[in-house]
Amino acid sequence: MIKFINANKWFNDRHVLKNINLEIAKGEVIVICGPSGAGKSTLLRTINKLEPIDDGEIIVDGMYLSDPKTDLTALRAEIGMVFQHFNLYPHKTATRNITLAPRKVRGLSKKDAQERAYKLLDRVGLIHRKDAYPVQLSGGEQQRVAIARSLAMEPKIMLFDEPTSALDPELINEVLDVMVSLAKEGMTMVVVTHEIGFAQKVADKVVFMDDGEILEIGSPPDIFVNPNHQRTKDFMSSVFHIPIFDASQEEE
Amino acid sequence: MMITGVKITLILLAATTVLSLCLGTVIAIMRISRIKAMRALGTLYVEIFRNIPGLFWVLFFYFVFPELLPSEWGYKLNHYEYYPIVAGIIGLTVDNASYVSDILRSGRLAIPHGQREAAISTGLGRVQQYLHVLLPQMFRATLPPLGTRMVHNFKNTSLCMAISAPELTWATQQIESLTFRGIEATMVATVFYVGLAGVMISAIILLEKSLKIDVASISRSKV
Repeated sequence: MIKFINANKWFNDRHVLKNINLEIAKGEVIVICGPSGAGKSTLLRTINKLEPIDDGEIIVDGMYLSDPKTDLTALRAEIGMVFQHFNLYPHKTATRNITLAPRKVRGLSKKDAQERAYKLLDRVGLIHRKDAYPVQLSGGEQQRVAIARSLAMEPKIMLFDEPTSALDPELINEVLDVMVSLAKEGMTMVVVTHEIGFAQKVADKVVFMDDGEILEIGSPPDIFVNPNHQRTKDFMSSVFHIPIFDASQEEE
Repeated sequence: MMITGVKITLILLAATTVLSLCLGTVIAIMRISRIKAMRALGTLYVEIFRNIPGLFWVLFFYFVFPELLPSEWGYKLNHYEYYPIVAGIIGLTVDNASYVSDILRSGRLAIPHGQREAAISTGLGRVQQYLHVLLPQMFRATLPPLGTRMVHNFKNTSLCMAISAPELTWATQQIESLTFRGIEATMVATVFYVGLAGVMISAIILLEKSLKIDVASISRSKV
């Protein structure tokens, strides 16, 4: 479904993606984690070409992203994206946020688009908020509307860029629940997150990145509990708040 | 004469408001374009038309512009009965559009980057991004200064008296010099200017409310 072949990207002099090779099969759920600045979001954003790569190739559902003839609108219509800060359109109600792209890109009639929006709002548990503006919704509600907005295009792939990082702790689960149900339905998902619980529940593979490189790829227990690299171990111990055993301190 | 003055002022106001909004939007889009030449052209426009007085442009389009055209066209324009009004509309429009474009550009800069990314990632094309996501937010964000600018433009219609467009200020002056009843004429004009500006301001406030620009006020109201 998604294949990275020796993908490289630079921001000026900074080498932000280094020789990325990664294959994601249809229906797989991939969680990308790693310290901030590791290139996780950049990697995610190259999949729908929000960020172009400078070298190498990415193939998404048979479309070659480096090919200038690739229809970017068609590509992006196949890929849903959910952002850390929701990015709902503030001047439109929840329903109209959802119906915009299906009407303008897919050419759905107003009525059909609205029906689809109501179904999706019902699915994320927000049908009673269908006429609310984004400012009237809590963060968790906004993110669920944002997920519904992406799903309304009936994408083959969903990308999540730290979807719960901007949420209050008690609002995180309502968003994760929607994501878990999506994963169980067989959606191909690439998720940048530090929600270890989510990863353990549904991830097929966890990708650990540091400094623009993929350090290791493995099942959730492999990466979280028995990582190979010292860098991964350090990161995981800080995420789990477990102090690292340090022999020198022991002696004092 | 007063009635004609009011009519001409209203025509000048309506035409320049609509045209300067359209032209200003186009220039604003040029100035935020990713194509360098477009940006340069947009900036050049604003620097030329904003930095030279509106009165100059009104005079320019009335006296100079016909001279720049092939002589028969220029002759026709000079003998066209309504040319003072047309020249006034063009002069005021190009002046006002430079301000409008700069106000709208500031509105674009105020929209978070994520808005466009959200639009792109759902497959919306460039034109659709502008029509449905960016422009509505640009107008909403800038409605208060845009409204003030439009009232300013309304007052600028009086500049057209310099080219004998028979608008309200010109009519007032004429009445004063023909009948010496300057006080009465001025009072009528004052009432009209204050009244119409008041109507404009009220319309802008109503528009702000109906577009729910005041985010705080919607979040207070229950759905």
